[in-house]
Amino acid sequence: MNEHELQDAVNRLPKSIEPPRDLWPEIQARLGTRAGSPSWQRRWYWVPLAAAAVLVFLLIARAERSAWDVTALAGRPLIGTKRLAASGRLHVGDWLQTDDSSRALIAVGRIGQVEVRPDSRVQLVVARTTEHRLALARGTIDAKVDAVPRLFFVETPAGTAIDLGCAYTLETDSLGKGLLHVTAGEVEFQTGSRSSRVPLGTLMQIRPATGPGIPYVDDAPAPFVRAVVAFDLEQRGTRARATRSVLALARAQDAISLWHLLQRVDVPLRGMVYDRLAALVPPPAGVTRRATIALESRALEGYWTKIQRIHFRMMVLRGVREIDPRTGVAKP
Amino acid sequence: MPPPDDLVARAQAGDQTAFRELYREHAGRVYALCLRLTGDGRDAEERTQDVFVRLWDKLSSFRGESAFSSWLHRLAVNVVLNERRTTGRRERRVMPAEDPDNVAGAQHAAPLHGSGLSIDLERAIADLPDGAREVFVLYDIEGYGHGEIAQLVGIAEGTSKAQLFRARRLLREKLER
Repeated sequence: MNEHELQDAVNRLPKSIEPPRDLWPEIQARLGTRAGSPSWQRRWYWVPLAAAAVLVFLLIARAERSAWDVTALAGRPLIGTKRLAASGRLHVGDWLQTDDSSRALIAVGRIGQVEVRPDSRVQLVVARTTEHRLALARGTIDAKVDAVPRLFFVETPAGTAIDLGCAYTLETDSLGKGLLHVTAGEVEFQTGSRSSRVPLGTLMQIRPATGPGIPYVDDAPAPFVRAVVAFDLEQRGTRARATRSVLALARAQDAISLWHLLQRVDVPLRGMVYDRLAALVPPPAGVTRRATIALESRALEGYWTKIQRIHFRMMVLRGVREIDPRTGVAKP
Repeated sequence: MPPPDDLVARAQAGDQTAFRELYREHAGRVYALCLRLTGDGRDAEERTQDVFVRLWDKLSSFRGESAFSSWLHRLAVNVVLNERRTTGRRERRVMPAEDPDNVAGAQHAAPLHGSGLSIDLERAIADLPDGAREVFVLYDIEGYGHGEIAQLVGIAEGTSKAQLFRARRLLREKLER
């Protein structure tokens, strides 16, 4: 087909396509919730009234900004010392507690929601539009957030989960031992200067002393998971054997784990980890062995971008297309 | 049916019945634009609703300096592009746009209209990368100039030309397969 034929075909496209269903009822419903019609906007006497309404709204909003809505999903959760009936407000500083038969749903400002499962204890720490922060003292939450990265944080006894636009389940005991399972987007978990990146379809163990462990894909074989967890539990200086076990069991699908492992092993072992990672998923152009082993951020970021992209494709197309885990390209 | 100008004037005065008539009259054109700009049937339905809700808010600012349909068309383009600007970053994080085998083409929720080559062309347009599709739809189908597109989309004029070239090449390749 040449340029001319394409233009002819474009010119024949219909200018109008009827929607597959009538959209008017939904439009009408949305108009019905709005504060007026166009004619109102043109009448001057609405100006001072509107200004007064805005002022009242701002005052109310300011007073309410430091609280989030809570709904009881089962049983009677506690806010502070009061039983929650059907719904209520969680103010900054308030604790929400569920027993073994109660659950609650917290609206995270306007950006998402958190379901608090039974036997959990959660505190609202910060409720601003620029920062939404909960503390999970113990128990399990399911978070769903639809916002730009780094607006929603959950503190646990062992570190902080930082939302990068995602859905995840986070559980912890009161000492900080826990598990993070990400089902959409990506979460960063940080303890001091140590952090892990946990994309969708991966899990990560959390330990009180060491914080974030090494993430692994949710369909990783059990021996590989055991090897990763064993590495997390080893003390620095005695990790050589555990490192070798992880490397021996790793597949290309486990590149996320090896990328983290590279930064956790003692210096003499980094070359060995890099070589295994590069054999499973070759580094992108411009990322060298020397720079990666030296943990230069540009090299690590470049490698991560490639690994993450392949991983996302495998997860999104799981069950639909077979993806080569070395390259991210669909197999014929 | 009352003349269009009368409908606009009545809708401006807050008459929802007249506004519904305006919707009936222009929904097909707006939906076609939204469908082609987004490449996705469900998104197109949502954007079409957004356009008419926005129209209700903005109707009082229509002074009749251009044809109502042209004015509405421009409003629709702005609504779709603004929506994409605000959600684009989030979507790119989850599904990198440069992935060679993006599944966007499998996401059409609405049936494609037309027949034969038209259907193939509609499908091929929907499968274009976002940037190339927007420029192609605005330039080749809707008749905007590169200067206008650059302003609307927030890109350089040269980028608009490059995207158009890329879109046409991709379309020809797809339609020849």
